[in-house]
Amino acid sequence: MSARWLDRKAALVGIGHTAYGKRGEFAARGTFALACEAVVNACEDAGLSPREIDGFSSYSDDSASPAALASAFGCERVRYAGMVWGGGGAGMGGAFLNAALAIASGTAEVVVVTRAICQADGGRFGQALASERLPASLPELSFTAPFGQLSAAHMFALAARRHIHRFGTKLEHFAEIAINARLMARANPLARFREPISVFDHLESRLIADPLRLLDCCMESDVGAAVLITSPERARDLRHPAVLLAGASMGSPYRWGQGWMGAGSASDDDFTSAGQRTVAEDLWRVSGLSPADVDVALVYDHFTPMVIFGLEDFGFCRKGEGGPFVEGGRIRLGGALPVNPHGGNLAEVYAHGMTHVNEAVRQLRGDASNQVPDADLALVVAGAGPTPTSALLLRR
Amino acid sequence: MARRRALLPAPTPTALTAGFWKAAAAGRLVIQRCDECGAHRHTPTAACYRCQSLAWSWDPVAGSGRVFSYTWSHHPVHPALAPLGVYNVAVVELDGTEGDPVRLVTWIESVTPQTLRIGLPVEVLFERIDDEIGLPIFRPRV
Repeated sequence: MSARWLDRKAALVGIGHTAYGKRGEFAARGTFALACEAVVNACEDAGLSPREIDGFSSYSDDSASPAALASAFGCERVRYAGMVWGGGGAGMGGAFLNAALAIASGTAEVVVVTRAICQADGGRFGQALASERLPASLPELSFTAPFGQLSAAHMFALAARRHIHRFGTKLEHFAEIAINARLMARANPLARFREPISVFDHLESRLIADPLRLLDCCMESDVGAAVLITSPERARDLRHPAVLLAGASMGSPYRWGQGWMGAGSASDDDFTSAGQRTVAEDLWRVSGLSPADVDVALVYDHFTPMVIFGLEDFGFCRKGEGGPFVEGGRIRLGGALPVNPHGGNLAEVYAHGMTHVNEAVRQLRGDASNQVPDADLALVVAGAGPTPTSALLLRR
Repeated sequence: MARRRALLPAPTPTALTAGFWKAAAAGRLVIQRCDECGAHRHTPTAACYRCQSLAWSWDPVAGSGRVFSYTWSHHPVHPALAPLGVYNVAVVELDGTEGDPVRLVTWIESVTPQTLRIGLPVEVLFERIDDEIGLPIFRPRV
């Protein structure tokens, strides 16, 4: 595909979300109600009626189906429905790529990307593995869970441990990701965790899966979020200046599979990464842009090391140098590359990446709480782990 | 070890994986190997990544390797797992396989946080569950 084929072919015109709850807080409402509220709020933000939505895009086997959403809102017709494979927030950018392709090809006119999480409905990841018979439909789980690899933290710790071993990455580098998230969240009244933390707090927080500590891990949340996408022409009549897609990509490197969610046969360099080396290559290729063009980065921060590894994968620094890269305030507000000015998964809410897109849109509209001056280009990096992971570039 | 075995879920064998678990129950480590080009692969799958052949066999391997990475789990993901206490999960890369590295998720017996390290030479041993299922685990090689 030639460079810039998708550039300015799709516009993000409405962002919405529910209140940000702790795990189980919205159990009485349920996942589908959260999805519907997020859609209503995104439509209100755009100045569109939910009835005008004719396309639905999501990821991670989201339970709010196009059938249920279109019926609930009395949509005139459904023209597009797409789901990206893989769990967690890895496919988030892929859901935006699918939506943009549907818009750019004329398949649909208004596509909504949705993700709603209500942990009480879906069950917790590790607990499901520990308490149930392992499913024959996912034979790879039988090669991990019986050996005690039960939680996401166990898996990400394996990558973090080897990165430390190979490159001398320090726990203080992981701490900086958590500290930055909390500092950013101070200006975000909706954020779940707004108390500042120190390196000492981080290093003294209890071990979860060595080397990962409590403050390296984001907290599960009950939340719904939605983003509306339409054509740049249609966007001109809507409420806000349009934010345009500059490029998007999804995938994984050679023999990545599910990465360290399993032992894998990926190369050592990919094992000690966020698995986003090839997604980054493709993003820069299809967009015709480079890391130097990025004004603000929204990097999926389920676990602190993945921000450092993601910055390496996307070429902001060389392989292995992500730790030193985040030193000295470089990723803080006012630094050379502000990262997650909304507080991210770690401090704002864990919405499987959707709130990173919401923040990118606010930054490019110029109305973010922690506004990066003259932000013209935002990079949004989806979750590391499953195949496919994904990313998008947004411009104003 | 027995307590660990009792608390964690057992593998669910499938058509592709039953041979692996059954061999481990009999005290043997077998890895899928391509009949055409000889490449080893794990976890079990239906095609060879190198030559795309669908023909394969179980190959008994020596079961020596090195610790590629590890973690010590401190937080029980389920209250029922609290009796496990602090335990390790490791990735072991096997010696002497053909093709891309062959790595297994496992755990390492007879180590402490002071002695478990990346690069530690290890050898396989087995935790038998029943006639059909065993778990290959590892201990430091002497």
